Amino acid sequence: MAQQPLTTASVPTDIYGGDEVSALVLDAGYCHTRAGFAGEDVPKSVLPSFYGSVAGTRNVFGDECLVPRADLEIKNYMSRAESVVEDWDAATNIWEHMLIKSLQPEREIHPSKNGLNDPDTKAAADGEGDVAMEDAAAAAAVASGEATEDQEKPLAESPLLMTEAPWNSGKAREKAIEIAMENWGTPAFWLTRTPVAAAFAAGKASALVIDVGGANTSVTAVHDGMILKRSIQKSPAGGLWLSSQIRSMWDSCEPKVDVVPTFMVESKVPVDAGAPAQAKLRKFPFDVSPSFRAYEEERLLTEFKESVVEVWKGPGKYTNPGNEELVKSQPGRIFEMPDGANQMWREQRFRVSEGMWDDAAALPTPGADPITKAQTIPELIRACLNNVDVDLRPNLLGNIVVTGGSSLLTGFNDRLNSELSAMYPGMRIKLHAAGLTTERRFGAWIGGSILASLGTFHQMWISKKEYDENGAGIIEKRCK
Amino acid sequence: MSQSGATVSQDCINAYNDLKLAKKHKYVIFKLSDDNREIVVEEASDNKDWETFREKLVNATHKSKTGAVGKGPRYAVYDFEYSLASGEGSRNKITFIAWSPDDAGIMAKMVYASSKDALKRALTGIATEIQANDQDDIEYDTVLKTVSKGLA
Repeated sequence: MAQQPLTTASVPTDIYGGDEVSALVLDAGYCHTRAGFAGEDVPKSVLPSFYGSVAGTRNVFGDECLVPRADLEIKNYMSRAESVVEDWDAATNIWEHMLIKSLQPEREIHPSKNGLNDPDTKAAADGEGDVAMEDAAAAAAVASGEATEDQEKPLAESPLLMTEAPWNSGKAREKAIEIAMENWGTPAFWLTRTPVAAAFAAGKASALVIDVGGANTSVTAVHDGMILKRSIQKSPAGGLWLSSQIRSMWDSCEPKVDVVPTFMVESKVPVDAGAPAQAKLRKFPFDVSPSFRAYEEERLLTEFKESVVEVWKGPGKYTNPGNEELVKSQPGRIFEMPDGANQMWREQRFRVSEGMWDDAAALPTPGADPITKAQTIPELIRACLNNVDVDLRPNLLGNIVVTGGSSLLTGFNDRLNSELSAMYPGMRIKLHAAGLTTERRFGAWIGGSILASLGTFHQMWISKKEYDENGAGIIEKRCK
Repeated sequence: MSQSGATVSQDCINAYNDLKLAKKHKYVIFKLSDDNREIVVEEASDNKDWETFREKLVNATHKSKTGAVGKGPRYAVYDFEYSLASGEGSRNKITFIAWSPDDAGIMAKMVYASSKDALKRALTGIATEIQANDQDDIEYDTVLKTVSKGLA
């Protein structure tokens, strides 16, 4: 085999350009976690925040979750209601996987010091046999005292900027800096709030940020780079809620649509639209856990969302007389299920998204609370604006930043615009939504990436020294 | 200090005071230095023509790190004068404009947005602030409406 000109370890780190060469940016959401180098325009590593736990001992991330196996449970380290970290051990685990394993060059250091074999994660190595010796060495190194120098910590050369939800708790913020400083030995750390990063990335220091994400939709007023705490509104009307609407619509279809995720299908034959599927399903010698099945179904629903679902553009509600007849006369879209069953979707694709705007139009979801009027997007905006000073409102309405992956639904911005014009007649309303899909999906990450790469930003970071002197409480003082 | 850590040069404050106190200038345009570390004065002028001023903002450029030149954001202070519709004479309002065209590079927009606070804090006595993102926002009539709160 031909020799590689450079091994991973010897590639110069300055190829990324920018002043702050090695700063890392981490943006954690309920559906996806994004990590990458500051100064780049897209995150290098984007993984689902869902991870697989094999028999409760070993965690697998990303594509490894897609293979069904015995004892595999799919979990999430974030809480769905809040989009903040719930399981810190798993969070540390997945972040290390992304920041250290995927983004750092391999280092010629002893495994006991790279943080991956710390006693609490040692279980991860079990069952692989060949690492048993290193384990023993690791245990010995730990036992021999605090010999690990800062230089040998995995992120000793990389400042880390993390984003956080605006409603993140003080405790969670302290925990984040603790992990970065103590576990990874990062020389500098900063937390920035997602709406601020998204507003900055749109070139605005003051803006009304509407973030339509996976688990939550939030509306936050940002003024001169500071979030107005009282204005923060959030609701579950995001991507996952939309999935539950689709499922409810499929369940009520005649005939009922069978949700067969891709992994179940061994082979399929083409069938006519509306005809029952004739697919051969896979058999597994073990029980596939319900959480794995649910995760796979969610992936199918996401595909349907991305390719079929649309938002009624307005003006007015979709349920207003005449609209549905109009939609029925327009061409629909065909969606083929993994098992080959396919059919045309017309009015349904508007109906599922209507609940985001009009609670009366939401489809019933068994086992979950129905969406309330206050949780619809127009009401969130109204509530947010009612909580800010009346003098700021015109400026906020003229500077609305739309971000988040679920805002990419076709027609979303048109509808938002028409709802706002109806709610605030005579006001100047201007939406700013990035045209590139990546800028919308990774809005907050990109903002963080630019901020961390600014030459002047190095004086802002909370340094290791400050942390050592003041403890984790420094985060509340500095990152306001 | 601003969130980006950029600082304001003393020249900015001097030029602003010349405008505010000595009435030497009609407007001052500020920009970030090429290394994005400091806010400096790009131009101070006593030209009263709004269109000239507007053209200057619209045609402003920003050089990215790779050397590519694209549209650029700016900050500006304009000593805006208008007469009241009620006939009670004229008013002067010192107006701060944060100009960040939507088609400027994302990096440039970000630096300017995150550094604005530093400049705004350094300049005392600003009556109105305008965040402008496209050319309509800095039309004379639009600005007049905002600055005069509809009283012109």
